[in-house]
Amino acid sequence: MDIQTNAVAAPAIKPDKKIKAEFLRRYLRVVHALFAVLLLIQLLPDQLTTDTCASYVIWFAVGVEVFTLIVSALIKKPASLNLFVDIVAFIYGLLIAWILATAKFNVLKPALFPPPGKVFQQFIEDYDKIITNVFSSVGIILQGYLLALVVAVPLGLFLGWSARLGSAATYISKFLGAIPPIVYIPYGIALLPTFRSVSVFVIFLATFWPVLSGTMSGVMNVEKKTIDSAKVLNVNKFTMLFSVILPASLQQIFIGCNQGLTVSFVLLTSAEMIGAQSGLGYYIKNYSDFGDYTRTIVGLIVVGIVIVFISFIFNRIQKYLLRWKQ
Amino acid sequence: MSKIEIRNLTVDYTEKKKSFTALKNVSFSIEEGEFVSVIGSSGCGKSTLLSILEGINTPTDGEILINGEPVTGTGTDRGVVFQHYSLFPWMTARKNVAFGIKQVNKSAGRAERLKVADEFLEKVGLEDFKNKYPSQLSGGMQQRVAIARALAMDTEILLMDEPFGAIDAKNRTILQELLLKLWEGDGSSARKTVVFVTHDIDEAIFLSDKIVMMTANPGRVYREISVPFDRPRNRKELVQTREYNKFRNELLALFYSDIASKIGGEEVVL
Repeated sequence: MDIQTNAVAAPAIKPDKKIKAEFLRRYLRVVHALFAVLLLIQLLPDQLTTDTCASYVIWFAVGVEVFTLIVSALIKKPASLNLFVDIVAFIYGLLIAWILATAKFNVLKPALFPPPGKVFQQFIEDYDKIITNVFSSVGIILQGYLLALVVAVPLGLFLGWSARLGSAATYISKFLGAIPPIVYIPYGIALLPTFRSVSVFVIFLATFWPVLSGTMSGVMNVEKKTIDSAKVLNVNKFTMLFSVILPASLQQIFIGCNQGLTVSFVLLTSAEMIGAQSGLGYYIKNYSDFGDYTRTIVGLIVVGIVIVFISFIFNRIQKYLLRWKQ
Repeated sequence: MSKIEIRNLTVDYTEKKKSFTALKNVSFSIEEGEFVSVIGSSGCGKSTLLSILEGINTPTDGEILINGEPVTGTGTDRGVVFQHYSLFPWMTARKNVAFGIKQVNKSAGRAERLKVADEFLEKVGLEDFKNKYPSQLSGGMQQRVAIARALAMDTEILLMDEPFGAIDAKNRTILQELLLKLWEGDGSSARKTVVFVTHDIDEAIFLSDKIVMMTANPGRVYREISVPFDRPRNRKELVQTREYNKFRNELLALFYSDIASKIGGEEVVL
């Protein structure tokens, strides 16, 4: 990354030098050295007696490397390139450490820590099952989360608007929001027909309180001048709430939504571990109960990927809706 | 009947059990099509007065009549430009103007509103910036958009609360000239009634038909002065005339004599 700062600092250099500097900035990076190290350590003898399925790791790494080179060539913003390359470097680093600790030096218990090749192999074997579980889990999250947004945001707008004049709503929502949603699970099981609906209910509650209090505090912090300039335009109550107060408090609402999203992921797995027959939480719980830690790790990795993917989309939406902020 | 009649307006604020009189028995009237500036040092209640005219504040005593009807709140007969925060930061310039139009003209369709918005943005010279957000515009440009919106809403009355107070000197004169040009129009339609709050004496003279000078503690009307210069006004020519300078000096003398008597000394540093 030092190379990049050099290229920016000296814009007056000759064109061919500039092209060269640009080339180096794009392609000469630590990440490719890590890729080489990852391949080289495969030459060390395995300490593990069972099959380590090393070819899966190699193919995976080659795939990632090709993808990295393509992205390096296409990506425009230096900051995005740095971010991407750093993530890839982290993956390589993790794989190197993992391979060394398991297959090569066997310092960890193989039953609890299978080598990465095994995990990749298991992933491919279970691919169909995993996809089904991902859809099941994401479906529950989306359903509970969106339901919570649809209820909490308008309610927060109304309560916040009345709370500007002073009301108990703030304290009530703080009180209810402080109760960890996991304690609602038994009540959900008692009251709701299916385990799936219990999961949705738990996600709903986990999202509902942070979004509600985020919206309320957003509304209460809208500047009086903004409200005055809407008032002098003679807006009606509906327009005031949804065309003025809502966008003006959007940033705070997003803080609540972010909190809700994080809690949702944590709770999803917990919720699915109770009685569910599908979903990533079920997958992890089921196989760890049977002592199949290869599959447990596959499940954990998939959960991580799903979280990163959803957060990425969420950030995109947030950036787009707040594009007017500088 | 006057367009706007302000009768015995008194406003008391109570803060931490201390009461404070912002306005005391303020009365004056404004004719239809008249451009009136309200000037005074800070704390004289000129902005409080305007907020009551806008309808976002209520007086403790007295009333304001518009077309003979008492003001009870905000209304579609008045368009407002503030010093800051007139525009909604999440709307582009064009959307801001169109939003204003929508509030006064419910029957206009979206396409029509945008068309009128574009027209008025062109009038204030911002046709190339119509899709920018307020944060992407300079302070002067933001005020142009706010003026475009107030004009596009086509209200009978324009209320302006130090609209150029935060603009640098050069742009302020440009904006004053633009405002005057748009207000004077081409004679095809009647001029709007304008109430313009400012603390800048030159601005008040250049723009107004009448200047209402206020004084503080408690806020009340000190003098009402008619501005004797013909329209359309040309700033460069106007400032060179002896009449202008005489008039300006008289106004300044009035302004400072009031402040001097308040402080109770001759040596007032301003």
